[in-house]
Amino acid sequence: MTKVEAVIQTTKLDDVKDALHEIGVEGMTVLEARGHGRQKGHTEVYRGREYTVDLIPKIKVEMVLADEMVEKAVQTILKAARTGQIGDGKIFLSKVNDAIRIRNDERGESAL
Amino acid sequence: MSTNPAFGKELRSAYAEGLARVQNDFTENGDGRAAVHGRTALVDSVALRLWKELISPDPEGPRDFALVALGGFGRRWLFPYSDIDILFLHAGGGTERELKDKVRAFSQDMWDLKLKLSPATRTLSECEKFDPNNVEFVISMLDCRYLAGDRKLFAKLHDQVIPKLVTRESRAIVQRLTDLSRSRYNKFGNTVFHLEPNVKDGPGGLRDYNLACWLALIAAMEEKGSWPDENELLPPWLREKFSAALDFLMSARCFLHVRHGRDDNTLAWVAQDQAAEKKVGAPGAGPLTAADWMRIYYGHARLIHRVAVQLMDEFPAARPSLYRQFQSLRSRLSNAEFAVVDGRIFLQKQESLQDPELPLRLFRFMSRHGLSLSSVVEHEMEEMLPALAAAPPTGAALWHYLQEILVGPHAGEALRAMHSLGLLTLLVPEFKGIDSLVIRDYSHRFTVDEHTFVTIENLHALRQSQSKWDQRYAELLDELEQPDLLYLALLLHDTGKGTKPGNHIAGSHELAEACMARLDLDAPDRETVLFLIDRHLELSAGLRRDIFDPENIRQIAERMGTPERLKMLCLLTYADIKAVNPDALTPWKAENIWQLYIGAANYLMRTVDERLHVNADDEVLNHLRTLAPAAGKKLEAFLDGLPRRYLRTQTASDVISQMEMANRLGEDSVQLALTRGRQWFELTLVTRDRPFLFAKMTGALAAWGMNIVKAAAFSNATGIVVDQFFFTDRFQTLELNLPEWERFKTSVHDVLTGKADLERMLRDRLRADKNAVPKVKVETQIIVDDECSEHSTLIEVITQDRPGLLYRVASQFARENCNIEIALIETEGQTAIDVFYLTSGGAKLSPERQERLKTALFEELAGAQAAV
Repeated sequence: MTKVEAVIQTTKLDDVKDALHEIGVEGMTVLEARGHGRQKGHTEVYRGREYTVDLIPKIKVEMVLADEMVEKAVQTILKAARTGQIGDGKIFLSKVNDAIRIRNDERGESAL
Repeated sequence: MSTNPAFGKELRSAYAEGLARVQNDFTENGDGRAAVHGRTALVDSVALRLWKELISPDPEGPRDFALVALGGFGRRWLFPYSDIDILFLHAGGGTERELKDKVRAFSQDMWDLKLKLSPATRTLSECEKFDPNNVEFVISMLDCRYLAGDRKLFAKLHDQVIPKLVTRESRAIVQRLTDLSRSRYNKFGNTVFHLEPNVKDGPGGLRDYNLACWLALIAAMEEKGSWPDENELLPPWLREKFSAALDFLMSARCFLHVRHGRDDNTLAWVAQDQAAEKKVGAPGAGPLTAADWMRIYYGHARLIHRVAVQLMDEFPAARPSLYRQFQSLRSRLSNAEFAVVDGRIFLQKQESLQDPELPLRLFRFMSRHGLSLSSVVEHEMEEMLPALAAAPPTGAALWHYLQEILVGPHAGEALRAMHSLGLLTLLVPEFKGIDSLVIRDYSHRFTVDEHTFVTIENLHALRQSQSKWDQRYAELLDELEQPDLLYLALLLHDTGKGTKPGNHIAGSHELAEACMARLDLDAPDRETVLFLIDRHLELSAGLRRDIFDPENIRQIAERMGTPERLKMLCLLTYADIKAVNPDALTPWKAENIWQLYIGAANYLMRTVDERLHVNADDEVLNHLRTLAPAAGKKLEAFLDGLPRRYLRTQTASDVISQMEMANRLGEDSVQLALTRGRQWFELTLVTRDRPFLFAKMTGALAAWGMNIVKAAAFSNATGIVVDQFFFTDRFQTLELNLPEWERFKTSVHDVLTGKADLERMLRDRLRADKNAVPKVKVETQIIVDDECSEHSTLIEVITQDRPGLLYRVASQFARENCNIEIALIETEGQTAIDVFYLTSGGAKLSPERQERLKTALFEELAGAQAAV
C-alpha cells in the first residue's frame, strides 16, 4: 500500500476528484493547506494597510492505495492538476505498513 | 452469578423475556410511557427477587437497611437500555459492615443480568451532607423511591433528610445544576435545532424536562420545607403541553433504544426516516415525512428547553454575587413600559396588553439589551397572538420595528424568542417554510431557521470579537450605510429552501419580494436585498477559483458593481459560512474571503473613473432606457461621459430626477435637492462645472455646521456635474426647524452663485468650533498614485476629521487648477479617508504639480490641526 499526497491548486480540486473517481479511487481526504514552493507571494494594499500572502492557499488530497493503483492515480492527478504554470503543486508517495477499518477491524488492502 | 445456578438461570430468562415483551409491546403500540413503566416494573421485580434471595426473605427486612431506587429508576422511567441507579441505605455503620458481602453479591448479580447498575452506599447521615462535586447524587435523590428493606428508614430519608438538605442547600444545588446544564448546552452549541439531535442530553431533550421539574421542585421545597404536590409544580397552562412533549420524547427515546439495541439517543437521519414512517410519538397524525416528524420533535423540544432556561434564570438565588450585581445594573434598564428584574423583562402596566404593537416594542427592547422574557410575559405574549393574527401589523410601521430588532446587538436572541412564540412567522409568514426544517447536508449542523439566526448572531458578534479576522470584518460592518438591509437579506436568504429545495435562491427571491412589498420597503432597498439574496453564494463560488487571478477578481467586482454591495456580500458570505457549523469558517477560508474582498474592492477603486459610453451594452443603462423611453436623447446626452460608478451608485429614479434637474439649468444655473435619509441628510447639486465648485459646496455645508460623512462628485461629457453630499446635522438645525430647509438651500445657492460671502460665514462657524478637542489623534497621510487610473491622478488624504476639512482640501485643488473628476469621501470615527481623482487640463497631474499639491496639503492640514 502507498500513501499518495498531492498538493494542488484550489481550483483543481473538482477536476482531480472527478478524474480519480473515474478510475475507481473513491476514498480520499481533502485538507485546506497553505504553502509555497517557487511560486511568489501576493501583496495587496487596502486602505493604506498591506496584506501580504507569503503562503498561498492550496489543497492537499491524501489517499492510501493498493500498489497496483498508484501509478494510474499519479498519472490521473498529473493530468487533471497540470496547468503548466509555477504553483501547480507536487505529489508525494510513501509506503504504508497497514490499514485498519475502525468499524470492523478489517486490515490491509481490504480496509481501504 | 453468585446465587444458585438454577435461580440465576431462571432470573436471567425471566428478565430477557420481560424485556423482549416490553420491546415488542412498544414496537406494536409505540407507547413510550407504557414501555418505560413496563421496564421499571420488570427491574423492580428482578431487584425484589434478588433481595429476597440474597438479603432478606422478608421484603421489608432487615432493620436499618433499605434498597432505594434513584434517578430515572426512581421516577419509573427506565428506557430499554438506560442505567439503573440504586442506593443501599444504612441507618449507620453497623449494617454496612455486616451486609457488605451480600450487597456486593446483589450488585454482581444485577450486572450479570446485563443491567447497567450504578450503585451507591450511604448512611442516613451521609445522605444529609452536600458534596458540591457530586450534586448529581442529591439530584438523583429528588426522584427516590422505596424498593425493599426498612420502610421507616426510607421514610426518614424521604420525609426528613431530603427536605432538610434541599431547603438548606438549595442555592448551592441550583447553582451547580445550572453550571452543569449550561456546560451541557455549550457542548450542543446552545441550540435545540441540530439536524441530528440527541433526545436525552441535547437542549430540549429529556434531561431538560427533568431539569425543569427539579428546579420547580427545589423552589417549591425551599418555600414549603417539605415535599410539594408534584402535580402542581408547573403553571397550569404549561402542564398539558409539557405532558404531550414528554410522551413524544419518551416514545422517541424508546424507539432509538429498540432500534439500536443500546443506550444510543441520537436521532440520526436514517432513524428519522423510520420514526416518521412509524409515526413514533404521533400515532394520530396523517402520513409524515421525516421533515414533518422532526418539526413535531423540535416543537416539543423548543418548549421544554424554553421552560428549563426560564426556570434557571428565575432562580436568582443560584447566582454568585457578581452576577447579581450585573443583573441589578440591568434593572436600571427599566422604563415606563418594561421592568427589568434579574435580567428578565416584566410589564409595568397590564393595560399595555391591549396595544397590538406591544410585542414589537418588547422584542425591540430585548434585541437592544439582551434580556430574556419572564415566563409571565411570555405567557401573556402567547395569549395576545390570536388577536394579533387576526390583524397582523404590516407596512412601513412593521418594517420600522423589524429594522430596529435586526440591528440590535442581541437580534439573534430576540428573533429566536419571537420564532419560538410563533410571532416571527406571524409577522413574516415567508419564514414559515423553514420553521424547524431539516435539510440533509453533511456539512450543516442546524435546521434552516436556526442557521439563519446564527448568521445574524455571527455578524453582531463581530464587534466583540478579539480575533484578527473578525476585527477586519467588523470594520466593514461599521462602514455599512444600511446594515438593516444586510440583516433582512440574511433573515430571508434561505427561506426558499422551504418552497424550492432544488433552487432555493429563486424561492428565496420570490418570498423576499412578497415580504418586502408587504413591508413597503423603498424600491432601491428592495433591489439591494434581492441582489444579496440572488448572489449569496457567489463569493463562496469565487473561492473555488484562483482568488488572485485578475480576471476572476474583475468578474466578481463587476458583478458587485459598488463597494457597498461588495462589503455587504462579503459580510453575508462570512456570516453564512460560519453558521454552517462551528468549524466551517476555517482561518484558511476567512483569509481567502478577505483576499478576494480586497482584490475586488481595489479593482472597483482603480476603475472608478472609467467613463460611460451610451452606446455600450450596459445592463443598468438598458434598464433606464426602458424606464424612461420618452427621455430618449436627453437621457443619453446627460449620461454620456459620466463615470460608470455613477450608474452603479444611483437608483433609476435618482438618475431620472437628476437628468430633469440638468434640464432645468436654463431656468436656474444651480439646481439643489435636499432629502432626509435614515442616518443622514442628502444634498444633491446639479450645475455646470466651474473652479472652486466642490470647495464652495463643502464650505457652505461646513458654515452651517453640517458634518459631511460621505460625498461623491461626477461630471459628464458636456461639463454638467452631479455632486452628492451626505451629512449629519450636528446642531439639529434642519431636524427641528422645517422652515430652515428652504433657508439652508437658499444659502447654499447664494454661496454657489457668489451672492453670499462664504469666507465670512466660515469664519463665524470655525470660531465657534475651535475649542473642540479631538478624542483620537490621527496622523495625516497623503498618498499620490499615478498608476491606478488611466485618466487621472489619485490623491488619498487620510487625516483627522474636523469641521471645514473638505473645504480646505478642495480649495487647495482649485488653487492648483486641478479638476475633481471623482471624489469618494468616507469618515470612520475621527478619521477622514478622502479619495480624489484629479486631472489638470484634461490630463493627469505632472510630477511637479503633484509635489506642489502634496506640500500645500500637508501645510494646510497641519495649520488646520494646530488651529483645532
